[in-house]
Parts: sequence; structure tokens; C-alpha cells
Amino acid sequence: MINAKNIYKNFGKNEVIKNASIDIEKGERVVIIGPSGGGKSTFLRCLNLLEEVTRGEVWLDGKLISKPDPYLHDEVLKYSDAYLRKTKRGEKDEDKILSEIKENRELKKREGIRFNKELKKISANYGQDINVARRKMGMVFQQFNLFNNMTVMQNLVYVPVKLKILSKAEAEKKATELLGRINLSDKKDAYPASLSGGQKQRVAIIRSLMMNPEVMLFDEPTSALDPEMVGEVLSLIKELADEGMTMVIVTHEMGFAREVATRVLFIDGGAIAEDDSPEEIFTNPKNARLKEFLSKVL
Amino acid sequence: MGYYFQGFLHTIIVTFIAVGIGLVLGFTVAIIKISAGNYKFMKIPAIICNIYTTVFRGTPVALQLFIMVFAVFAIPGFKPAAAIITFGINSGAYVSENIRAGITSVDKGQMEAGRAMGLNWLQTMIRIILPQAVKNIIPAIGNEMIALLKETSIISMVGSTVGTLTFDLNFASRTAYKTVTNYLATGIIAAVFYLSVVYLMVFIVKIIERKLGTDDKRKEYI
Ligand SMILES: Nc1ncnc2c1ncn2[C@@H]1O[C@H](COP(=O)(O)OP(=O)(O)OP(=O)(O)O)[C@@H](O)[C@H]1O
Ligand SMILES: [Mg+2]
Repeated sequence: MINAKNIYKNFGKNEVIKNASIDIEKGERVVIIGPSGGGKSTFLRCLNLLEEVTRGEVWLDGKLISKPDPYLHDEVLKYSDAYLRKTKRGEKDEDKILSEIKENRELKKREGIRFNKELKKISANYGQDINVARRKMGMVFQQFNLFNNMTVMQNLVYVPVKLKILSKAEAEKKATELLGRINLSDKKDAYPASLSGGQKQRVAIIRSLMMNPEVMLFDEPTSALDPEMVGEVLSLIKELADEGMTMVIVTHEMGFAREVATRVLFIDGGAIAEDDSPEEIFTNPKNARLKEFLSKVL
Repeated sequence: MGYYFQGFLHTIIVTFIAVGIGLVLGFTVAIIKISAGNYKFMKIPAIICNIYTTVFRGTPVALQLFIMVFAVFAIPGFKPAAAIITFGINSGAYVSENIRAGITSVDKGQMEAGRAMGLNWLQTMIRIILPQAVKNIIPAIGNEMIALLKETSIISMVGSTVGTLTFDLNFASRTAYKTVTNYLATGIIAAVFYLSVVYLMVFIVKIIERKLGTDDKRKEYI
């Protein structure tokens, strides 16, 4: 469903994600753990391109949603200046030439017309507008980010109606149902400022559900909450998990991670240092940094 | 008394039109500058806008008035319009910074939430960010209007030398009664006029602020 290929992200000199790849299938619940500053949030935000990737590609349901990365397409690299130069010189081994180009990152800032044409072909054949793709990926933020100028009801119905995913009547019906489900029907005309943190986050979660997403991304959904409100948010997420929602969750709640995950990623220093089942990660960790991390948090 | 009346009227008209120009220009410039962070093709327009705000905020308005009235728009009979345009453009530079500050003070999570749901930048800006920014912008715009109202009095500098622009209060107060004893009286009348208009503006801005403050009040109840 989501395929991140060799994604790399830097902020100036700070390399935050260093060539991470992952394939997430429908129904998986991937929990991301790791030390602070390791790049968990950035990695998650790269999946829906809230952070533009510097290199590499992100695919959703077989569609390319990031810019194409020429280094991932041999058929494009074959029109690069470096490739043409090497073959002219008499080098025969295609694979060797290509791997050299990739390894030494030999592409020029400006390649020829034919190269650009091939690259455009990739976008034309596989590309999907990011704004369309994002409708399929719900995102829940640490700071809730409900629209402060709208009531709870408006928060829920505004985007799906605006983007013509639901009619106004359908949206209101669905919003009413979802509000009932989280026991906040009486708050439908309240503004976010008047809600508690736990209420805000639960509204934020059902706001994502309004779009009928195929996958939901959570970035530390309970870290900004008072302890007594963590439970209500986690149990709502667990409910969604039980219903089969595909999820990627960054969290520091290890008990929750273990309970809900089908797969755990340990991200450290911008790389996926371990990627395994929750049992293996928590009972039989292999990576030394993971062992150290777990000994601190468990 | 005719001079005073003309002075009042012209000061208000000039301020009003210049504020209008300033708002439209300022809003456009602010949006162009901010959108450059998201749309690459707005980079060059944003640079032009930066030059504009730097020049017009970095030089005295009196100087701008001289250049515009006597050089750029040195068309016979066009002087009043040239003066109004100058004030509008000058005000636009300040207003754009006010609006930009108002927009950037909205939590960036609001834009992210809109974008993450599939709204594009402009849709999120218009429906989510701007309504929240208005609250921060209104007081600054009010101050800008008050400053502009008083600033228009320097039109007399270009007006009196040319003799075609007779429509500001200071000028009126200087020409109405040309006796020394009356200078104080005419000055006081002009001051009362300015004060009452400024007071009215402050009052209107307060009302608007109070209207826009409703979201915050709801917070206080809980
Ligand atoms: N917009 C940004 N500009 C510059 N640097 C950034 C930006 N966002 C993140 N970083 C840097 O990237 C690194 C990784 O940050 P990230 O937020 O992804 O870590 P994290 O694993 O989510 O940490 P935490 O557990 O504290 O949330 C940090 O060094 C951070 O300073
Ligand atoms: Mg984080």
C-alpha cells in the first residue's frame, strides 16, 4: 500500500533520514519507536509528503506521489550523460555502469533533453497529485490541530464536503454517527478551544475518519495529553485497529505499541535500525541501540 | 469656515481611498510573499514585493510624495490623484507587513492539518488560516489608518507650492485667517478634528475586535 523507496531527507547540513525504505501492506499496524530526535516524526511526515523528500520516492497504491527520483529508474539513467559517456568509451557491462552511476551519484544538475523526457514519462505514467493522495491518508498530530475557527461539526464536515467526497447531508449524518461513537454529540457546536485535550484528539481522529482513509498516520497522538486522558485516546485507536484499519503510529507508549502493533520499526539516527514483529522487538532485540533504548523506557 | 469644511472632507477622502488602496495592495503583497514558501513560481514576484516594501518603508513618505507628484506622475491636473496613490502605495507596504505578521502568527499546525486532509495551499489559506489571522491583523490595520490620517497633512507641502492642492487641514488652517492671533484658534480647531476622527476610528476598531474575539471568550467559560 505505502512504499517508501530509499528516502533521504536533510534540513541543511542535518541529515535526518538516511536512505530508509519500507513497504507497508494493507491491514498492517506499524508502530515506530526510537529515541528523541531520531527522525520518527520526519519519517512519518515523509510518507504523506508533509515533508518533501530530498531523495527517493514515496508510492501509494502503485502511484508515485513524490517527485520521481532518477536514481531509482535504470531506464532513465541510461540516457544520462555519464552512461552515454561510459558506453562510448567502450564499457560493456550495463549493470556495472549503472551501479557505478548510482554509487557515485554521477548525474549532473542538468541532464539532456532525452533524459528529462524519460523522467517525465515516469511522472506521467505513475504520478498522482499529492492532494488527491492525501485524502486516502489520515493524519493525527501530537498537537491535535483542529481548525480553531470552526466548530466541532464544521471541523468534521468541511473538508469532505469541500473536496466533494461526501454531500453535505451525508457528511452531517456521518459526523453525527462518529460523534455519538466517541460520546461527544453534545459538543458538536463547541469550538475546539472549549474542549479538553483528550476530547480534541478524539475529534481529530474522527475528523480523519470522515475522509474514509485507507491508512492512518499517528504522530505521538497522546504525548500532549494529561495522563488521565491518554486512555480514552488509546482505546479509540485500538478500536480502529480491531476494525482492520491500516496504521502507522509513532509513540512512546510501549505497552500500547506491543498490544496494537503487527510490526515495529526502531528508528535511530535517521535509519530503520530494526524492523520486526513486536514479540521479537520487545523480547529478543538484536540491535545494541534498541537494547539500550528498551532498557531505558521499559 | 468653507476652508475647514473642505479640509475635513478632503482629509477623510484621501485617507479613505489611500487605506483602500493600501489594504488591497498590502493583502496581495502579503499573500505573494507567503505563497513563495509553497509555490516556486512565486519566488520572483516575492522578490519584487520585498523590494517594494523595503523601498517604501525605508524612505520618508514626504520624499515619496515629492518624487511621485513632481516626477513620476507629473501630469497636469493629476496632482491630487498622484498624492492619493502615493499614500496608498506607502500604506500598502506597511499593511502588507501587518498582514504577513498576522498570518505567520497562526499556528503552523493549522496549515499542516488542512494540507494533510487534501486541501491545497490556497484553500487552506483562505478558509482556515486567514479567518484566524484577521483577529491579529485588525488592531495593526487600525493603527495604520490612524497614522495615515495624520500623515496626509503633509500633502500641504506639495499642495501649497503648486497651488492646486488645497485640501488638507493644516493648509486650511494656515490660509483661513492670516492673522497671528488666529493661528492658535485655527490650530485648535484642526486638532479637535483630528482627535475626534482618530477617536472614532479607535472606537470602530474596538467594536470589530470585540466581535472577532468570540472564539476566545468561549474558552473563558470552561
Ligand atoms: N523543520 C525542520 N527543520 C530543521 N530541522 C528539523 C525540522 N524537523 C525536524 N528537524 C530535525 O530533524 C531531527 C529529527 O527530528 P524528528 O522530529 O523527526 O525526531 P523524532 O524522532 O520525531 O523525535 P521526538 O521523539 O522528539 O518527537 C532533529 O534533529 C530535528 O531537529
Ligand atoms: Mg516526533
